[in-house]
Amino acid sequence: MLEARGLVKSYRAPTGPPIRALDVVDLKVPAGHLAVVLGASGSGKSTLLNVLGLLEDADSGEILLGGERVSALRRSARSRARGRHVGFVFQSFLLLPSLTALDNVLLAGRYAGRRGPDTRRRARELLAEFGVAEREQHYPPQLSGGEQQRVAFCRAVLNDPPVLLADEPTGNLDDANGRVILQSLHARARAGAAVVVVSHRADAVVGADAVYRMHHGRLAAGPPIPEGETR
Amino acid sequence: MIRVLRGYAFTIAGIAIGVAGIVALGAMAERIVRFVEGGDRFVLGQISVAGRGMGMGTGFTAGGLLPAASIHAIAEVPGVAGVQAQVMLPLNPSTSQFMTLTQELVLGVDLSVETPNRHYPRLPVGEGRYLRPGDRRVAVVGSSFASSHGLRVGGQLTLEGTAYEVVGILERTLTAPDRFVVVAIEDARQQWIAKDPLLRTVIATGAAALNAPDLNTGAAVGWRQGEDPDAVAHRIAERVPGVNVQIPSELSQLLRSSTAFFSALLVGIGVLAFVIGGLSLANTVAAAVFERIRDFGVKRALGATDLQLGGEVLVEALAVTLTGGAVGVALAMALGAAVDGWVARTGQQLFLFSGRLLGGALVFSVLLGAAAAVYATVRVVRLSPAEAIRRGA
Repeated sequence: MLEARGLVKSYRAPTGPPIRALDVVDLKVPAGHLAVVLGASGSGKSTLLNVLGLLEDADSGEILLGGERVSALRRSARSRARGRHVGFVFQSFLLLPSLTALDNVLLAGRYAGRRGPDTRRRARELLAEFGVAEREQHYPPQLSGGEQQRVAFCRAVLNDPPVLLADEPTGNLDDANGRVILQSLHARARAGAAVVVVSHRADAVVGADAVYRMHHGRLAAGPPIPEGETR
Repeated sequence: MIRVLRGYAFTIAGIAIGVAGIVALGAMAERIVRFVEGGDRFVLGQISVAGRGMGMGTGFTAGGLLPAASIHAIAEVPGVAGVQAQVMLPLNPSTSQFMTLTQELVLGVDLSVETPNRHYPRLPVGEGRYLRPGDRRVAVVGSSFASSHGLRVGGQLTLEGTAYEVVGILERTLTAPDRFVVVAIEDARQQWIAKDPLLRTVIATGAAALNAPDLNTGAAVGWRQGEDPDAVAHRIAERVPGVNVQIPSELSQLLRSSTAFFSALLVGIGVLAFVIGGLSLANTVAAAVFERIRDFGVKRALGATDLQLGGEVLVEALAVTLTGGAVGVALAMALGAAVDGWVARTGQQLFLFSGRLLGGALVFSVLLGAAAAVYATVRVVRLSPAEAIRRGA
């Protein structure tokens, strides 16, 4: 279960008053649910994802992971909580160019304290599941965008995190690769993870348990979208 | 790690250039330091005595003749352990005698007694052998002298029209003996007479009652174990008339004050090298860390704690700095070898890559690189992972 209560986040603007990226946001995503956040560019949806994933601090409000108030943890404890409980899928993949595909996946295990042969075997299984097993010794610049995102997805789920956050995961992919990633996100939700997807793609909402719209830092809930329908 | 280092190729090159600059300048400073220290060590190892006077007839040493009677009298002074008569002459008298730092000298030594210098009881021989009692018409030459004159052991050297066989070449000391030609004192006396028309006239006219053993430009005096060399020197001056005695500590002081300019210059060069090279190195390492700010943001997003990230950055920075430092040292040594190879034709050596210099430069670069990496890392980890990713994008 991922829960956010009263999140507020402002950024200083070069001129004028601060920009309120999150304006008292509440969100609850139960385990096994997939929530989609839609919104225009600059509406605050990426900020929401960063704050939910402990990648940056909110000015006020709190985040709970499995009932634990992780936003109150000290920085190192927050890092550890992030490594163990949260998986990220970024629009620009964010693979480390100096590491092979396999080592990029294993990086998530390293910081979660999982370095053994089981972790390596699991990483290889994931790469095989996503059709990039034969590319495990390739470096990111040697992979296509779709392959990079699949490797990034493997990295995000290596530790089986109870929370999976995806920021425009299909933004840089063609339709076919985009579908693979979206299906995988749904599969993680069905496997019990709380999944939050920020996307501008209409087909991202298909099958979602909840759809939210962000506008000027405010989050408004909409009804769930049935399979086969596009809002 | 090799892959990571390859990613840092430009950083390593930048560090290498900075370290090469430090090491090359340091090696030139070391060369001069060795020269000054060598001279200091030599003068502190013996009491140098010359005859009283202003140099007439004694050429290079600028004192009067030191006759055999004075040498005997010195040997009788309490505390004196040994006296060796010497003749020191400029090889080429037309060369300005003020330019003694690079002047080639003939040193004639009395081989029938031990050299009393405590620090140089025997000049170190690199090839061949040193002079033996009874040797005549043979010479041992300094390493710079040998290379600038193209001499080898077994070769011949002509001094004042007389051929000498080179029986030994001294090890390179980077001090005055590198330009010495050491011969038996009897041979040096003959050269002296041949070089000096005034001396020839004095001897020919019988204006002074001079025998061969009286023709000495000076003497090296040793002291007994437990004696204070300055006290023995003062005692010689008091008890032996007609001599100029150089007090070892005063001579050392004089040598140091006369080289004070060089010492100050060296300190200036050293400070500049360390500041410029150090700043360049620190800047390069810090810039390399800041360049990877996105990677660090990603690692923190994946759960890396400050400590884990700091440790990783430090290990990488140390590896990069050490590699850059080693390449820089190799670069400086290659440059030094090339330049020294070129100037060796004139018997010069400009660089001295001592162990303390190389070790010091590596330790300095690693410590500075680590400090710069720590500074940059502290700056990076203060950012939120999201901010680090944004800034690195």
